[in-house]
Amino acid sequence: MQLIRRSEWLWEIPQTGAMRVPGRIYANEQIIDEIRDDPCLSQVANVACLPGIVGYSLAMPDIHWGYGFPIGGVAAVDAEQGVISPGGVGYDINCGVRLARTGLEANFVQARIERLADALFQKIPAGVGSQGAIPGLSSQQLKLIVYEGAEWAVRNGYASQHDIEHTEEGGRLTGADPDRISERAYKRGAPQLGTLGSGNHFLEVSRVDQIYDAQVANALGLHQNQVTVLIHSGSRGLGHQTCDDYLKLIVKAMDRYGIKLPDRQLAAVPINSPEGQAYLGAMAAAANFAWCNRQLMMHLAEQAFMEALGVTPRELAFALIYDVCHNIAKFEQHVIDGKPVRVCVHRKGATRAYGPGNPAVPSSLRPFGQPVLIPGDMGRYSFVLVGLEAATEKTFGSSCHGAGRLMSRNAAKKDARGRDLVAELKERGVTIRAQSRSGIAEEMPAAYKDVAEVVEVMEAAGVTKRVARLRPLAVIKG
Amino acid sequence: MSKRPPDDGLPYRELAHTADVGVEIIAPTRAELFRRAALALADLLVEVSAVATNESRTVQINADDDVTLMHDFLSELLQLFSAEGFIWREVQVSESDHALGAIIRGEPFRLNHHELRREIKGVTYHQLSVERVNHEWRSLIIFDV
Repeated sequence: MQLIRRSEWLWEIPQTGAMRVPGRIYANEQIIDEIRDDPCLSQVANVACLPGIVGYSLAMPDIHWGYGFPIGGVAAVDAEQGVISPGGVGYDINCGVRLARTGLEANFVQARIERLADALFQKIPAGVGSQGAIPGLSSQQLKLIVYEGAEWAVRNGYASQHDIEHTEEGGRLTGADPDRISERAYKRGAPQLGTLGSGNHFLEVSRVDQIYDAQVANALGLHQNQVTVLIHSGSRGLGHQTCDDYLKLIVKAMDRYGIKLPDRQLAAVPINSPEGQAYLGAMAAAANFAWCNRQLMMHLAEQAFMEALGVTPRELAFALIYDVCHNIAKFEQHVIDGKPVRVCVHRKGATRAYGPGNPAVPSSLRPFGQPVLIPGDMGRYSFVLVGLEAATEKTFGSSCHGAGRLMSRNAAKKDARGRDLVAELKERGVTIRAQSRSGIAEEMPAAYKDVAEVVEVMEAAGVTKRVARLRPLAVIKG
Repeated sequence: MSKRPPDDGLPYRELAHTADVGVEIIAPTRAELFRRAALALADLLVEVSAVATNESRTVQINADDDVTLMHDFLSELLQLFSAEGFIWREVQVSESDHALGAIIRGEPFRLNHHELRREIKGVTYHQLSVERVNHEWRSLIIFDV
């Protein structure tokens, strides 16, 4: 794959063959060296073949090989002439991250960390085979949940108005159509509301270990040594089944629209087709389910903290800092060649990153930009960033979403053979609770890039900047 | 994809995919290929040695081509696990050109009895292949985990 260096942080795949736009990858030299022969670069080129794509097929520095889209991929298509691709959103619709702050200091929590980890592990259901946070949800309730998203959680006492204001899209994507979700998807999702799931999903208790921008940190309510909670999960079985349902439909429908793509997983139909509209209604519904899911887990985490540590709600002072989604397609306005254009931005393992002054950012944070939450691996650290103004022109208002995998799951398991990863992490000050031993091995710190390098690239490129760094104290894996 | 030697006794071999789980399945016949794919999926989800076979389910799939047949068959089985909570250890397959029927033997999944290895979100179309190479049938499947 031919790569042209555009700047210290930007690499380009020239437009060739069926590509409609060039590809652009934000990365430093080391990251590029690691992926030069990786299939993820062909995936950037494949995405560039989507009808209606504008500007560039983009990839963030946490790029790695996915299916269809690369993970870390961003594609904006013209809102009128473009296509929608369920594979460009992924199976885990609105997989995302939320960060809550507490009024507790690290020393207090560290001294009681085993008890807290047990309580969180017990309180937050893992997923398959366990009962969700709200057993016996009726189909009518589920339809309301996918329509209302996090607002449903507020109405039912699981969230506050503050939480909604600090969630991307207010925790509710408009256009959600509960009737576009199949019975199967409802059935798969019903027992999984308020559950974490396996793979790279987690709940982490962390402490703020470094502040990069005191003014913004202060606005977010963050200070040195404060305890925070980071939750990474998505739309669970309801979203997975929705993606599957619509991929099947769209793979079949694509021919009728004369769309040819190099990978069936990229299957797409015009946004303004009946199939495209049906998917968008279902996707928004699944996204709302995900917001409700993360909100419920936050509620359960709050209860676990109070029970395990014997603190009052006032002492705990649990409050959402922000919630972002990193697998989604959304209609937004961005600047292309100096002109504002309405586009549908597919983010597959990428986070929206709006700069200061954007009306979508909560009013208290608007002068500073939208918070962007970037989890690292479970042994090192995670970052809190904010979006910068130039993001809209450079990346359609998008930044990275995580560290990005370096090792395959297989290679990680092989590397972990004969090692006691739980003890190794304990030595690094991280307490682990997990459903599966192989899950810990697959997610071991060495399987990931150093997330610091990834966020540095985005900062150097003028897309996002660092506000604070978080170190894990306890990690709960589904 | 770099290949690893086959794991002993398994109906598949795991391939190195960075984020997800890829498997390669080789079988002497087309029916056996689908059977092994079904067993591979169960093995990726759960430690199957503890699965009893006292219940059965049937699956019927129609599709125009083998790739779609494989995709839809495994998606149906994934749904059987994820929505119905059923896990299997034995599979019997009957096939024709555009259809596949299977009897799946197993039992309801219980978290405290069976060891869950991972959840699988979906069966992707990315690089999905089903082909006859000389005297063998081969399939390559990438699951989103």
